[in-house]
Amino acid sequence: MTGTVFDIGYQRYTGTREGRARSRSAVFKDGFRTALGLGRGGRAKILPWLFLAALSAIGLIMALVAGAANMFGGEGTAEKMNLPTHSDFNGIASVVMFVFAAVVGPDLLCRDKRDRVINLYLVRPLTGTDYIVSRWAAFLLVMTVAAVLPQVILFLGLCMSNLAPLKYLQTHWTDIPKFVAAGAAMALYTTTISMLTASFTSRRAYASVFLVGLFVISAPFVFGLSQELEGAAGQWLSMFSLTNIPVHVNDVIFGKVSEMTEGAPAHTLPHWILVSWYFGWVIVPGLILWARYRRLTP
Amino acid sequence: MMPASAGEALLSVEHVTKRYGKVIALDDVNFTITDGITGILGENGAGKSTIIKILLGLVKPTSGSAKILGQVASDSVLVRTRVGYMPEHDCLPSEVSAAEFLTHMAECSGLPPDAARTRAADTLRHAGLFEERYRAIGGYSTGMKQRVKLCQALVHDPAFVFLDEPTAGLDPAGREEMLTLIRKTHREFGISVLFSSHLMADVERTCDRIIVLRGGTVVHSGEVSHFMKETQTVFIEVDTNRDRLLAALQARGVAVTQEAGGLTVEGGDESVYDLVRDALVDSEAPLRRIGPRRHELTELFQRDAT
Repeated sequence: MTGTVFDIGYQRYTGTREGRARSRSAVFKDGFRTALGLGRGGRAKILPWLFLAALSAIGLIMALVAGAANMFGGEGTAEKMNLPTHSDFNGIASVVMFVFAAVVGPDLLCRDKRDRVINLYLVRPLTGTDYIVSRWAAFLLVMTVAAVLPQVILFLGLCMSNLAPLKYLQTHWTDIPKFVAAGAAMALYTTTISMLTASFTSRRAYASVFLVGLFVISAPFVFGLSQELEGAAGQWLSMFSLTNIPVHVNDVIFGKVSEMTEGAPAHTLPHWILVSWYFGWVIVPGLILWARYRRLTP
Repeated sequence: MMPASAGEALLSVEHVTKRYGKVIALDDVNFTITDGITGILGENGAGKSTIIKILLGLVKPTSGSAKILGQVASDSVLVRTRVGYMPEHDCLPSEVSAAEFLTHMAECSGLPPDAARTRAADTLRHAGLFEERYRAIGGYSTGMKQRVKLCQALVHDPAFVFLDEPTAGLDPAGREEMLTLIRKTHREFGISVLFSSHLMADVERTCDRIIVLRGGTVVHSGEVSHFMKETQTVFIEVDTNRDRLLAALQARGVAVTQEAGGLTVEGGDESVYDLVRDALVDSEAPLRRIGPRRHELTELFQRDAT
């Protein structure tokens, strides 16, 4: 059977044009794919998936340990032994979360600046605000998944390892909204700080090194200094431990001080101060980030 | 929003002035552009990029108004769904395939995903990159990257496209391919073009109209054919005996001037050609070329500079 190929020439596009909503969702979708290395070579996938695997592994190990304790020691043994659970996860996994945000987050903005693709976005039906909000939201989704997925694994693990899974679900279902809220708080904070840092450079490596330094160095430095300055001064100073800020909110949500923050003098401060401090660290950097991109288009 | 019909202004710039502090980038610029290929010429700092940025809505003019397809782009970003822009500098991601990148750019211009995918493949086919569409852009040659840049400006089927120095950095073959594509963009695709360039030859061969900017003001604008019309002079090029030919012409009372590459004789009527013929015979100068001379666009700049 033979066929003939006809060149019908250039065809004008007569279909629908969906405007800004489509443009925003395209930037959001591309940001999500970039963060996870989708549609790119194997090397681009290594880091994000390694971090997701590491975070999931933490949730899985916590579930296995608690499950084994319950299985061999009888129901409720894990709680009696005070093994780490949902309220402790964000404290335990926070270093991995911060490094994940530091290494992967800047890629969403730095690459566009380095390759100058941002100039092509801004001549499309997008404003600077549309662009940065879409990119920020894309990475927020990735970070929220990274923060909540291990908690889901942990919850399912604890549920399945229980002799009466339905009874466990009935008594512990309130953990679900708590760990979702705590995960979202962690994601919101890490995403905003990471994006703001990335907005100042076109080199991902510079942003990543700065962020890792900021998160990793600030914690022991502030901790040591706050121990020296006892009393109220030490208490207030310990609030500047950047890794502890979202974990304090985690403690407020769960109503329990986690292992990570119990040594920080700030944990005794009133909840409203800890929560306000957290929102300050999200809102102010968020506004600076927005202002930096808003001025790209008049 | 429909493309403007023939003769209707696609772009209109009225009394546009743009100041950056004390520096005047554009000073009371006025022009309109209708269907076709228009070249915008000017030296560095003449205001070419500023006027393009104003028309795209990326910069607001200090005074005056610049409209594209009847709208001010900075007032309504939606007008950009019908406008394409190809920047001069590199602007392509290296790790992504051309097909994926163009699909994304089409979606960013408001096309639904399926249509975006189809348009990306079609546009790459018209630019001669169909076979290479799944390769990462980082592995493309300069000419291929330049064509991808043009494709991203066309993928959403705009009514008007801005091309900023589209032949920059290309070898002669690549430059020829790019100019052919630009002509095709208007003549076959029906998309009007504003083409900024430093290269007179490219503008002469490609554009229907030109706008010449100097120091932020429009110094010339009109049809390219008008600027390139025949002059009342005859250009003669010979292989040898040029001095003898010059003397023979002067002996016949012909006003003649020497130029690099040949002699220019004043007057374009038949009697001048007769005198030139006789002078060629007397001087035994082997004729290589003779013909009426045309203005060149470079003269516009030389004239303004002097």
